[in-house]
Amino acid sequence: MIVFITGGAKNGKSSLAQRLAVELAKGGPHYYIATMIPVDEEDRERIRRHVADREGLGFETVECGRDILSCLSNVDKRGSFLLDSTTALLMNELFIPPDYRLNPTVGEKCADELVAFAKSVANIVVVSDYIYSDALQYDEVTETYRRALAMIDRRLAAVSDVVLELTVGNVVVHKGDFQP
Amino acid sequence: MKLIIGGAYQGKRDFAKAAFHLTDAQIFTCTGEEIIFSAPCIDKIEEFTLGCVKAGKDPVALFQQYKDKWKNSVLICQDIFCGVVPTDATLRQWRQETGRLCQYLTKNADSVSRIFCGLEQKLK
Repeated sequence: MIVFITGGAKNGKSSLAQRLAVELAKGGPHYYIATMIPVDEEDRERIRRHVADREGLGFETVECGRDILSCLSNVDKRGSFLLDSTTALLMNELFIPPDYRLNPTVGEKCADELVAFAKSVANIVVVSDYIYSDALQYDEVTETYRRALAMIDRRLAAVSDVVLELTVGNVVVHKGDFQP
Repeated sequence: MKLIIGGAYQGKRDFAKAAFHLTDAQIFTCTGEEIIFSAPCIDKIEEFTLGCVKAGKDPVALFQQYKDKWKNSVLICQDIFCGVVPTDATLRQWRQETGRLCQYLTKNADSVSRIFCGLEQKLK
């Protein structure tokens, strides 16, 4: 089962995703794929908050900020996976240290790998961010990022069994069956 | 008229082509205030409204004036309404005028579809 969840910031996506990933595991192994590569204290604090949120849910944390297929060798694919989020993963893939130069073609690779990952595990819940409905004009780097993330979203939505949009904690079902 | 709205890069044009059997040659893509109201499909209407704002024209009045030409067309506009109010006056007016136009178009549409991650959500 592939579940794709998106929506605005602070709308309850992560909490719902955690709950669904645990339910889909049915008592079996469930993995939290930590995509964020912390670069400063603010990032480390956010990670501490997320770890505290997940406490008691029994997730095994797998750190993988790039090349998402690389972590498949260390996990039981029959388990349930939570990938939160494509946004962080794409950021890591688009801007590679040490110079953080933009790699504009990486979106396609990232989408291919995410689709392959989702199809090779028993259950996965993927979280993204909906950043496409404002009236600002962005610079080319930001537009490259938005274009790539939207492409990843569409590719994942196409192969997902369930596609959900969260808005202030409420669920809009765009695809599949979902009982809250 | 069929109205298709949705955020940036959500697959609105691909949906229009598939759902209404349109080719690229039948789609007029706006890049400013120039528009062909009689095209079978008009894409990027938000670029038309931005061009109108910059040129001091009223996009709703223009659509009203040429209603006979587009009343059986497929119209595509980006949803630009959910962000912070832009500090730039032109972009602020752009957002307003595009919203006003989409409401007018919704009233005159046989169907309204919102495209979300490539998936259709029927609104009307």
